[in-house]
Amino acid sequence: MEHAGIERLLVDRNRCEGYGMCQQAAPDLIHLDDEDEPVIDVAELSAAHKPLANAAVRACPVAALTLSGPTAH
Amino acid sequence: MSLITTAPRSDVDIFSDEIMAEPYPAFRELRDAGPVVHLDRFDMYAVPRYREVRHVLGDWESFSSADIAFNDKFNRYMSDFSVLRADPPLHDAMRSTLAARLARRALREQEPEIRRRAARLVRGLIERGSFDAVADLARRFPVEIVGDLIGLREEGREDLLRMIDANFNCFGPDNERTRDSFPKLAKVADYVLVGATRENLAEGSMGRAVFEAADAGAIPVQAAPWLVMAYVTAGMDTTVNALGHCLWLMAEHPDQWQLLRADRSLVPQAFREILRYESPVQAFGRTVRTDWTVEDVTLPAGAKLAVLYGSANRDERRWADPNRFDITRDNLEHLTFGYGLHACAGQALARLEGEAVLSALLDGVSHIQAGTPVRHFNNILRGLESLPVTVVPN
Ligand code: HEM
Repeated sequence: MEHAGIERLLVDRNRCEGYGMCQQAAPDLIHLDDEDEPVIDVAELSAAHKPLANAAVRACPVAALTLSGPTAH
Repeated sequence: MSLITTAPRSDVDIFSDEIMAEPYPAFRELRDAGPVVHLDRFDMYAVPRYREVRHVLGDWESFSSADIAFNDKFNRYMSDFSVLRADPPLHDAMRSTLAARLARRALREQEPEIRRRAARLVRGLIERGSFDAVADLARRFPVEIVGDLIGLREEGREDLLRMIDANFNCFGPDNERTRDSFPKLAKVADYVLVGATRENLAEGSMGRAVFEAADAGAIPVQAAPWLVMAYVTAGMDTTVNALGHCLWLMAEHPDQWQLLRADRSLVPQAFREILRYESPVQAFGRTVRTDWTVEDVTLPAGAKLAVLYGSANRDERRWADPNRFDITRDNLEHLTFGYGLHACAGQALARLEGEAVLSALLDGVSHIQAGTPVRHFNNILRGLESLPVTVVPN
């Protein structure tokens, strides 16, 4: 789906199991903290970030990471 | 494209010894035939390409796992407390209970011990020089590691892999292998449901934790023994096959072994490539919940699917030169552990075991030579029965 405006990476904390594939795919955008909890480092994604953000989303084995505009829930 | 056509058909038997001995040409034919291909012998549709496999696995609301086995009898046998078959919210409650112990963060504490044990086992084998990679390594390590983590008694463990092999066969279609395996389920039930009760599981173990989760009201009481069943049946044989392939592929591709020796930071990627190249789980079932249109074919609600993990991992539409074993390729998105809601709950542990064995081998071995592998046949799993190897120490 196309969203107008800014896109963000969203983590579903109930599904995330801390595999860290997102960090491997997009180390500039997301990293795991000491507890293996993902931390989003770039809140608002620019067009230049999109390919990496998409790669991070695809790399999540449990589909806990999504890309979403500000209007989505 | 608006014209609705029927799916292409195939009469290939993907569960026959003949195809399973060398499945990749048949997978390729299925992929080339279409995104879904009716398997005439089983009245179900193969899903052979990467894109649709990922789509199906990623959308549990449209594709149910209730028929994960390719026969009704085993689906009923597994009960509604099978995490593999369940939908949210029950699925998520059971999954959280597993993840509390299996997630990477939960395994950190176990990692040094798992690495120590891999090193000890591998050192002994290096001293022998020649051994069977399946009997002496692949079949020993996961049973020891996962058996201890679950908290199973030592007694009876030697029969476990044979029981689990039968359990996996029972996921198959109504064929000889499935029929021969059903009577053996009684032994599995006896070992797990009767034998691995709360009192018989070690204190502090993953198995015990499942009963404690039931005490705390996190999962239904009836779910606890079935979660122990999930640990036992899903957590060993799968990794056994991955480790067998590990030795085989490294022996067959000495250039890749030398590359890995030169750069050990490639270990995680190398183990992923082993998993991509030879997927231990070859097929599981899904059911279409609402009509599904893919390209110019619409499958009606109720249609049964055979999701082909191993084929998706060799799809030329997704992977450049898919039949090349290349530990440097970008393989983060392999589908060997599935994807989405039901993605393997034990993948962090499987990876830890695989990387520990690879690292232990790297510590002591300069060359791996393999004799002729003997294939093991199972309706769901791909793996070896034996593989004679000789290792040359550093
Ligand atoms: C290389 C080794 C392994 C492979 C290839 C593998 C493969 C898989 C696959 C393909 C699935 C997904 C099934 C689906 O799509 O419906 C799965 C699920 C599962 N696996 Fe693994 N597995 C491995 C190791 C393990 C280990 C070590 C454990 C636990 C100790 C484990 C526990 C589970 C469980 C509990 C599920 C069900 C998850 C759910 O339905 O939410 N697996 N595995």
